[in-house]
Order: sequence, then structure tokens, then C-alpha cells
Amino acid sequence: MIVLDNVTKRYPGSQEALSNASFTIEQGEMVYVTGHSGAGKSTLLKMIAAIERPTSGTVLINNQNVSKLRASALPYIRRKFGLVFQDHKLLYDRNCYHNVALPLSINGITGEDAGKRIRAALDKVGLLNKEKAMPITLSGGEQQRLAIARAVVSRPAILIADEPTGNLDKNYASDILDLFNAFQQVGATVIIATHDALGAARKQHKILHLDHGILTQPEVSA
Amino acid sequence: MSTWLIQQTQALRLVLSRFRHNLLSTVFISLAIAVSLALPVIVYLVLDSFSGVTTTLKSESNINIFLEPNIDHTVRDSIHNILASHTTIESFIFVPKEKALEQLAQTTANQNILAGLDHNPLPDAFFIQLSTLDSQSISALTEQLRTMDGVAEVQIDNAWLKRLNYLLTIGKKAMFVLVILLGFAVFAVIGNTIRMQILTQQEEIEVSQLIGATKSFIRRPFLYAGAAYGMIGGLFALLISSGVILLFNQSISALASEYQTQFSLHLPDFNVFLTTCLTAMIIGLLSAYLAVSKSLFKSIN
Ligand SMILES: Nc1ncnc2c1ncn2[C@@H]1O[C@H](COP(=O)(O)OP(=O)(O)OP(=O)(O)O)[C@@H](O)[C@H]1O
Ligand SMILES: [Mg+2]
Repeated sequence: MIVLDNVTKRYPGSQEALSNASFTIEQGEMVYVTGHSGAGKSTLLKMIAAIERPTSGTVLINNQNVSKLRASALPYIRRKFGLVFQDHKLLYDRNCYHNVALPLSINGITGEDAGKRIRAALDKVGLLNKEKAMPITLSGGEQQRLAIARAVVSRPAILIADEPTGNLDKNYASDILDLFNAFQQVGATVIIATHDALGAARKQHKILHLDHGILTQPEVSA
Repeated sequence: MSTWLIQQTQALRLVLSRFRHNLLSTVFISLAIAVSLALPVIVYLVLDSFSGVTTTLKSESNINIFLEPNIDHTVRDSIHNILASHTTIESFIFVPKEKALEQLAQTTANQNILAGLDHNPLPDAFFIQLSTLDSQSISALTEQLRTMDGVAEVQIDNAWLKRLNYLLTIGKKAMFVLVILLGFAVFAVIGNTIRMQILTQQEEIEVSQLIGATKSFIRRPFLYAGAAYGMIGGLFALLISSGVILLFNQSISALASEYQTQFSLHLPDFNVFLTTCLTAMIIGLLSAYLAVSKSLFKSIN
């Protein structure tokens, strides 16, 4: 369970990116975070994933107060999440296989066990045949799918994706959404940020809509 | 396998594969470290070899005792007996004053001088060869001889030994300075190398931290790399110093045989091997730790 209580984020030298946000996301829910560019979607996700600390307010992940955790405890919180970054953050000095291997090696999983999982993740996003390719040789959409494979490979309890379908054509976008749905089906919490109205798929799920850092539609569910 | 062991092997494998991928630069960095390490090792081995000389060149160390002018022969005999039973004395000869005078009189210039004397001015003397070069036992012996009845004067003929000992002391100081200075050089080389590697892996480090890598996870491979550079450098240093010593030894033994002695510089033994490698590894480890701590965790949390 993810609980934000009165969370405000102000980056140094700028105005509030997020103002007094309060909401609850239950285990196994699928949530969309929407809003215009600069509305604070990425900021909200980073706060949940313990990448940014709130300026004020509390962030609870499974009843753990992330905002109060020691820096040395943050890595263990972060491992609960699978993250798809808006800018992918792929490593261009190694091939697809080794990009996907990174979260596993952080969790101490190597060797054959890791290999199976990595190929399964690459297969899910349709990149199994690109295992040995370097990310720079991939198209924009393929890089995005690689980022998704890296996010899901360690089977996180919470999947957080920032604009995961931005560069994808309709077919792949819906494939990816199916993947996220499948994830939710097996009990994972899925949080997706997007500024584009995704249509039908989204309507069945909770939406957190941001406007200049302010939640305008808190707790609207189908 | 325990988590700890998995983490260590994981880091070690990573370091080995990085080394293999950058084999040439790894070799060159290790060589730079090795040269810095080889110098003090060579100096040490040279000093060690010469310290050994002080026990092989025994015959050169003498003590001369001159007895009182009108000494009773029983006193002289008791001195003789004490010398004969002393363990630090290799051998000795007794030269009575008459014989000394004879020897002196063998040159004509001296004959003229001696002709003007009404009695023999020379004392009886013992010429002693020592079996040790240990300065403490030598000074203990001279003290004992000085206080003996009938002994007028004790002369230690150890100028060369003093000189050698001074040289060895200077050499040891030089080695100490070398160890400190070149230790810093190794520290700097390894630190810089690690800093460069951190720069090239900045992205990986950042992403890893974002998705849950602990600081020790990120630090570990760099620590292993630092220690490995030290160790490989240490091994190379032993090869270099062995090579240099073998090269010099051919000429040195030729020179030594001209002096009817056997002398050669020592090759590194197991203790030297262990000390060099361990020291280098520890320097590498510390240097890497400092480099990682300084350049890593500035931005993120
Ligand atoms: N690291 C930062 N330092 C300073 N300001 C920041 C930083 N990150 C975001 N901001 C500011 O906070 C606001 C919200 O940014 P955020 O990235 O959360 O928007 P977003 O909704 O994700 O936009 P987009 O749809 O374009 O990705 C913006 O005004 C942005 O300029
Ligand atoms: Mg964004």
C-alpha cells in the first residue's frame, strides 16, 4: 500500500512541482497519473519510488515512512519497485541482455537463474532476438521496450512507468499495456504516468490528474 | 552460498572481466605501479645482501692488544688462556716484543732510529681475529680486554666495518624515504585510475543507485580493482627486481671472485614476496576507497 499525505515538493530554485498531494494506492491497483507537461507527474513518481524526498508531508510504502528513512535504507525500498524512467536511462556501453541484467545483479541474482529471467523479460517486450544488440542500434520504441524489460525482470511488487508508451506505435502500445495488465493480474501494483489520453484502457482504472502540481481529481475510480 | 560470498564473487568477476576487456591498459597501469614498487625492493635486497657480507668477511676484523712493558709471564699466560677460550675470537697470534723489534729493524731507515735507543720500546702484543661482526659482542669483548690485568691498550681495527655500517644505515634511510615516496606514487596512480574508471561508469553508477544498489555494492568492484592493481603491480615488481638482480649478479660474482670471495645479491624470498604484495594491495585498497568515497556519493542522497 502506498500512502501520500499532504506531500509537497519544491526543487531548489523553482516553485512547487507538487502541492499538498494526498492519496492512497492499494496493493494490486492500477493507477494512471495524468496531466500536462510540467504538471508534476514525474515528480510524483520519483517521490513514490524514494528517488526524491518530499519537501514536506509523508510518503508511506507498506507502512514504512520513506521520507524519514536513513539514506542507507533507501536502496532496499527502491528494490521493491520496477522503474521505467521517462528518459529510459539505458546503459549504452553494454548490450540489451546486460542492460536487463542490472537489476538482477543488484539483487545478487546471477548465472543461469538470471539468464532465464532476462530472456523471459526480453521475450515479453518482443526483443528476444535483440539480446546481443547494443541499445544505440535500437529504434526509439525498441529502447523504450528494453527499459520496460529491465523494469519487470526482477518481478517487482510495484511497477512504476513514466511515459512508457510515448514512443510506441498503437500495436506495441497496447501490447505493453497488456503486459502491465498481466502484471497487475498477478498482484503487482502498477503506476503509469502519461500526458496523453489513452482512451478505453485507462477508464477502468484510478486516475490521479495533476494540474500545475495540484491533484484535481483525487480518488476518481471507475 | 551465503549472500556475502555471492556479492564478493560477483564483484570479483566483474573486475576480472573489466581487466580482461582493457587488458593493455591494465598491464600498463600495473607496470607503472610495478616500477614504483621495484625500486625499494631492489634497494632492500642490495642492503640485505650487504648485511650478509658482514658475516662472511670475518677475516678482516681484528683487535690488537698491547701489553704493559714489564709484564709478568704468568699474567701473559692467563691472558693467552682467556683469549683461547673466548667464543667471539676466531684465532690470535702472540708477537713478543723482541720479535716486533726484529721486524721493525728490517728496514734500514728504522735501523738508524733504533740504534739510538738503549732499550726495546715495543710492547708484547696479541693480534686477534674475530669470529663475529656483531658490534655489540665486539664492544663487549673490547671492554673485557681493557679491564684485564696487564693490558695497556686495545686497538680495534674495524674502520671498514664502521664504514660499511654507516653505508648500510644511509642505505636503510634511503630505502625508508623511497618506500614513503613511492608508496605515495602508487597511491596516486591507483587512485587516479579508479577515478577514471568511476568517470566512465558514472551512468551505470547513477542508474544502479536509482534502482536500489547500495553504496557498498557500487564501491565493492572498485575496491577489488584497487587491490588487484596493487597485487599485479607487486608481482610485476618482483619479476622486475629479480630480473635486475640476476642481470647484475653475473658481473658482481665475477668481481667478487677477483677478491677471492663469493658474493651475490639476494633474490626476493617468500617474505619479500609477501610483504611487497600485501603492502601494495593495502595501498591499492585504501587508495580506491578514498577515490570512490570522494567521487561517488556527491550528488545522489
Ligand atoms: N530536478 C529538478 N530541478 C528543478 N526543477 C525540476 C526538477 N525536476 C522537475 N522540475 C520542475 O518541476 C516541475 C514538474 O516537473 P515534472 O518532471 O514532474 O513534470 P512532468 O509532469 O513529468 O512533465 P512531462 O510530461 O513533460 O514529463 C516542472 O516545472 C519542472 O521544471
Ligand atoms: Mg515527466
